Amino acid sequence: MDECFSQPVTGVAGRTILLLDRISPDYNHTQLLTGTKTRALNISSYNYLGFAQGRGGCADAVEEAIKRYGVSTLGARLEGGTSDLHMISEALVARFVGMEAALISSMGFATNSTFIPALVGKGCLVISDEFNHASIRFGVRLSGAHVRMFKHNNMENLEAILREAISQGQPKTHRPWKKILLIVEGLYSMEGTLVNLPVIMAFKKKYKFYLFVDEAHSIGALGPHGRGVADYFGIDPRSIDILMGTFTKSFGAAGGYIAGNKQLIDRLRVYGHSGPYAESMTPPVLTQVVASMASIMGVALPSLDGPSSGKSVVLAHGNGNGVGVGDEEYHHPGPAPPSALPTWLTLPPQLASGIEGLTRLRRLAFNSRYLHNGLIKLGFITYGHPASPIVPLLLFNPGKMNMFHRMMKDRQTPIVVVVVAYPATPLVTSRVRFCVSAAHTKEDVDMVLRACDEVGDVLDLKHGLRRGVRWGVDEVIEKAAELGSAGAN
Amino acid sequence: MNSTTATLAPLFNFLEYSLTTAQTTFDKLPGSAVIQRYVKSSHQNDPGRTLLELILIIFAIRTLLQSRTRADRSGKHFIKFSDKEIDELVDEWIPEPLAQPLSTTEESDLAALPIIAGPNGSKPKLVSTGKPTTNLASFNFTGLAGNEHIKQRAIETLRKYGLGSCGPPGFYGTLDVHMDLENDIADFLGAESAILYSQGFSTISSVIPAFCKRGDIIVADRSVNFALQKGIQISRSTVRWFDHNDLNSLEEVLISVEKERKKRRGPLTRRFIVTEGIFQKDGAMVDLPKLIELKYQYKYRLILDESYSFGTVGRTGRGLTELYNVPASKVDMLLGSCATGLASAGGFCAGSRTVIDHQRINGPSFVFSASMPALLAVAASEGINIFRNTPSIFATLQENVRAARAILDRVDCITIPSHPASPIIHIHVRQQSPAFLVPPPIHSTPTPSRSHYSSILSAKDVPGRDAEYDAEERLLQEVVEEALAQGVLVTRAKRLRGQEMVEPRPSIRLALTTALTKKETEKAVNVLKTVLVKVLGKKR
Repeated sequence: MDECFSQPVTGVAGRTILLLDRISPDYNHTQLLTGTKTRALNISSYNYLGFAQGRGGCADAVEEAIKRYGVSTLGARLEGGTSDLHMISEALVARFVGMEAALISSMGFATNSTFIPALVGKGCLVISDEFNHASIRFGVRLSGAHVRMFKHNNMENLEAILREAISQGQPKTHRPWKKILLIVEGLYSMEGTLVNLPVIMAFKKKYKFYLFVDEAHSIGALGPHGRGVADYFGIDPRSIDILMGTFTKSFGAAGGYIAGNKQLIDRLRVYGHSGPYAESMTPPVLTQVVASMASIMGVALPSLDGPSSGKSVVLAHGNGNGVGVGDEEYHHPGPAPPSALPTWLTLPPQLASGIEGLTRLRRLAFNSRYLHNGLIKLGFITYGHPASPIVPLLLFNPGKMNMFHRMMKDRQTPIVVVVVAYPATPLVTSRVRFCVSAAHTKEDVDMVLRACDEVGDVLDLKHGLRRGVRWGVDEVIEKAAELGSAGAN
Repeated sequence: MNSTTATLAPLFNFLEYSLTTAQTTFDKLPGSAVIQRYVKSSHQNDPGRTLLELILIIFAIRTLLQSRTRADRSGKHFIKFSDKEIDELVDEWIPEPLAQPLSTTEESDLAALPIIAGPNGSKPKLVSTGKPTTNLASFNFTGLAGNEHIKQRAIETLRKYGLGSCGPPGFYGTLDVHMDLENDIADFLGAESAILYSQGFSTISSVIPAFCKRGDIIVADRSVNFALQKGIQISRSTVRWFDHNDLNSLEEVLISVEKERKKRRGPLTRRFIVTEGIFQKDGAMVDLPKLIELKYQYKYRLILDESYSFGTVGRTGRGLTELYNVPASKVDMLLGSCATGLASAGGFCAGSRTVIDHQRINGPSFVFSASMPALLAVAASEGINIFRNTPSIFATLQENVRAARAILDRVDCITIPSHPASPIIHIHVRQQSPAFLVPPPIHSTPTPSRSHYSSILSAKDVPGRDAEYDAEERLLQEVVEEALAQGVLVTRAKRLRGQEMVEPRPSIRLALTTALTKKETEKAVNVLKTVLVKVLGKKR
């Protein structure tokens, strides 16, 4: 089993990845590196928008930042570790997600585990999806709040729990809850499912709970503008109380953010555990965040007094007004004004215009749908939403995990895949998880489909469709355009 | 009689027929023979046995059917409401606001936060004034910030690896540079193996729950840092506290734990001592040889947080183990941070191979978090190289510490709980002036010894202590702002008041650095001294 995990790699985790080969002389008890390397197609890393790059505009910007700032900001945010770059990045992140203020933390896991305890405490109720990430559970356990779980994405169950919790109040004392915080993820990392945000927003109006959306996987990857689930469903982000996300995935950086209204974020700065005790985010990482985010947003040219800059003025006005605008439709916050970027940072025109970012978003959307629908047509059982860049393929039998992994890796063009089982998923639904990226070409996805087709026949994995209804792999590849746009919004 | 049998005959026939059909269909079922054999052999002409089996089966089915997230509906506290009543209750319920606004002092503190323009280092510029300051606040102990060689290596790494690793270590996020750094750390410390986490704070709060589970015993110092407190809290182990940095008290606790266990005849559980090398909260240093002795005598495992001693003390910066000449292998879990001494980011845990490999599967923030960016790992590796090649930086650091202490120790209005060799120096307001002593002077014992710290817990309820700390904080904040106006950047030790287990006394925390010369250090500390005397003297 060890063979499938912790495979050491080198180089950029981009479209392909360089594996350090290893052998095991004693049935996987120990692994020895042979010193040779193999290049493999990478359909495992969370590199949704393909910003994991050693070259290009973002990397150039990071190099400039290292020259200017060094590699560290030396200390915690509240104890002399705050630099102007932090302020710039936080303002840009807030603008990107469409919130009033944002706070950056140097580690994605820690964003949840150190800030949730500052939001809720004793006498509060946290309602959490059963498949929420470990960092959320960690944070909630630290907070001392009471927790109720609802069945994954099951809105009837959620409503039943809400009604019960509000009517019963706190256990034993029956005092009303101080506050109820609903924590959901935008895109679930093991399931590939999307949260049912429209229904939750309707519940929120009725039941007055606060909503915390963890967009670790969805930010940058979903929605026509890459702004996450709110963008995807066309919901005003300010009607959500807290948006949290990470930079590890779509932005090719590290760390996380938490965004909300200014009062809330200021409180988190002072009361979150990270503020006084955890190291702040380092300048190279901040720059990668700024540069990749600006490429997705596009930078408004100061000379252009077109409709784009008009939009940004409107938004600036909204900022001045403060807290949430209510139930207005989501509207695109527009490109980043050049003043939102550090003065020394220049992006190449391709990135700055936002065209590159938009192309990547579209390519990701196509790849996701194509792979997802393709696998279904081939007869596999998959989970999740077709728009999700995470595509889990069900293996069920844990014994097939090793086989699948090995057979994919031993192909003529090796493909590395992530196989997951207990404890990340229930034991009986072991699965392979593909993470498509905008860096993949259609041929790459074709190759994955072909490989799955062959391996799937050997391992008997095609239980989704009857033999007669299945498509052959050639047919799937031929009709890629149809599959790639099926169900697109 | 005959007539009744005759009338019942069709019924019997039917019964017999249906029984045989049931029998044949049952026989046709796969595995029916097994069940038949099983029932026969378990029955053994004893209906009691079959009854027992039946009860067991029903129990098993019931357990399986029970939902994991079941509500406490059956409890006597559950009140049944009609839908209409629930709707009314829902309408009536008004939640508290999600976030209370900050108090004015908190707001002004946040606004007074110095923001550094450009690179941080020994002489950073501030955004607010644009003037350079002398930095005694940031963790740049070894002066590695802005090191050109490290920058160069970081850029090379960036070009080769990109920035983010885009995956957790288990799923193609383990880079060769991570393994190199792990080996470097282990090799440097003389430990068997090491593991790298992507943030210092999370390292600590993740290592403890990886090993300590419910029912285990943790004996911990009363004023361990917040990350350790959180780790202990989440591990759900049984915790016993000993007085701050008092190994006699530790021994007493160890003896009492053993006695208790014998009395209860409880099972032998895993037992851990948790403490710090140099304490984050006051800069005190633990007596490591004695600690190791106790650990072996009472058969405990030692979790030692060296975040502030690794890369700062010892001849070549190996930390406490080098200072006391104790092999690192005697510390079971040695935690450290790459963000302090190495001026990079992340944290590590060093120990035996078994201990480290266990964390690769069970350390929550290792498994569920992306690995750290490659260039930061390389920067830390380069830092270790510099430690090896130029141990003189640690001599300079110690010289600066001595110079600073020589000045500060003579100031009357403050007390310093920190160890003379500690590069972080905490400054408390001396508790003498009657103006602030609303409660009787519990803390007036001149040495920060046992009585002082044991009193803190009991002092939690002392009325007016909050006010006293508030006043001290205001005073120290004034010192910080005044010092900044004179070009010296220092910081109050920021705390999460109300969330700490033991409220530490407010203090100013200095972090000395090799990057400043002895003269510069003396000059900056002298400025601070003048400000301290001025501000604290005025209020008296």
